[in-house]
Amino acid sequence: MNTQAADAAADMTVTSRWSNAVPRLDVWVKIFAGLVILAAWQVGVAAFAPRFVAKPLGIVAAFPAVITDAAFLAAVANTLGAVLQGLSIAMVTGVIVGIAMGRVKVFDRLLNLYVNGLYAMPMVAVLPLFATWFGYESDARLATIIFAAFFSIVINARDGARSVPPDYLEVAKSYRAKRRYVWFDITLHSSLPYLIAGIRLASGRALVGAVIAEFFVSLEGVGMYILAHARSFKHNEAVIGVLALAAFGLFVEWTTNWVMRRFLPWARRS
Amino acid sequence: MIKLIQLINSDARWVRWATFAASIFLGAAIWEYAGHNANPLFMAPLIGSAQSPGAALRLISFIGDSDFRGAILSSLKLFATGFAFALVVAVPFGIILARLVLLRVALESYILVLYVTPMVALIPFVLSILGFGFWPKVLVVFLFAFFPILYNTLEGARSVKPELLEVAGSFRASEWSIWRDILIPYTLPFALTGIRQATGRALVGMIAAEFFLSTSGLGEVIMVASRTPDIANMLAAIALITILGVILMRGTQALEQKYSAWRGVDG
Repeated sequence: MNTQAADAAADMTVTSRWSNAVPRLDVWVKIFAGLVILAAWQVGVAAFAPRFVAKPLGIVAAFPAVITDAAFLAAVANTLGAVLQGLSIAMVTGVIVGIAMGRVKVFDRLLNLYVNGLYAMPMVAVLPLFATWFGYESDARLATIIFAAFFSIVINARDGARSVPPDYLEVAKSYRAKRRYVWFDITLHSSLPYLIAGIRLASGRALVGAVIAEFFVSLEGVGMYILAHARSFKHNEAVIGVLALAAFGLFVEWTTNWVMRRFLPWARRS
Repeated sequence: MIKLIQLINSDARWVRWATFAASIFLGAAIWEYAGHNANPLFMAPLIGSAQSPGAALRLISFIGDSDFRGAILSSLKLFATGFAFALVVAVPFGIILARLVLLRVALESYILVLYVTPMVALIPFVLSILGFGFWPKVLVVFLFAFFPILYNTLEGARSVKPELLEVAGSFRASEWSIWRDILIPYTLPFALTGIRQATGRALVGMIAAEFFLSTSGLGEVIMVASRTPDIANMLAAIALITILGVILMRGTQALEQKYSAWRGVDG
């Protein structure tokens, strides 16, 4: 809420030549803009695009049937289950590797090249390789998700572990703090903001990985649901699949923001 | 023992270089070992032998192969075209949103939604509406690159201090000088963050478009190698894409850092 309040305050003082936004009206402005966008979409598609292309009214009409469709719900559960499973594996292993790299120089020097290289590698490129290694089944999807998520978590955990204020470590050392306190109460604690940033980044990448793997390996899931319906020209239904993915993305965005504000107010995000 | 641990963790230059060399050597050795001992349908060695050259030798032989050079050029052309369109549209649009507060308030929630939507999910729509060819693939790269740039430029737009615009307005600054002296310097560092994010995503979009729309370029090289199957070729192409990714990421990171000092003190 804080940032929004600050934004609102900032908006109030702005007197641009063309606009003079009043924060109380913000919500109405947003709703109005949304309606304009939807209307433009509806009219534009109706006028210029082939008939099968999705239109807002068509999506609304298809919504109740899709949302109660057992196949759609199974697809959503399937994809989200795989993403959560892959994320948890990537998180546990990634945090261990990342913190070890951040605190022990020799690990950093040994692994940095590979972590950065594999992080910069577009994950789609390894899909055919993973399909060969893990078979055309859900293992390939899980491997893609872990691959997509792991390196961004490692990089953030490493940066977090490096950002521990040296004063804290010095004080801990002077008081002969036990090693586990140094690791858990100081290092892990002060890398938390970085870890959350890493998880946020990783979940976006994991979702992309899951969808791409479903396209490539033809697995049941939201990606396949979208592909199958787009192919059979049922675009309204397919768009609802996209909305489910966007909802997951928004959920991650809001949850990480909420966690940052609620539990880590001491970490000022840039 | 403790002496040894201290030594390998020390900052002496020779220790750093020795660990770096050990890192490369160990990685290469593991790859080579796995390649020689695994089923050749699943893994190829890094160097291999004269009879069955590994990934590194293939990569070197690719340089002389005109088909392969054509594939690289076609991929780069796709990437550059899509990315250039994204850049040319997203940055000015983001800065306009810095200028028109009302428009920014109206659109920012929707831009966030599109920013967090995985753009891969739109590939089936592009395929069924626009079909095959070069321009649908450009659209895919564009979609992957556009929203990170726009979203981050928008963050910059929000950081523009209203006082500055107010003072500029009071002194009757011209529209051009407001852009040149306030809007562009304030939003540029943020736009560069977006550009860094966008290069990574656009590379994913490029390969995805080459896989799922009409196959071409490096994506086609990987696909053909995976069907043959020719793991050494596949690994060589993947290595090349990785090198491309590292170069793009390093380059954009350097650019971002160069201008990061421009971020406002409280930005």
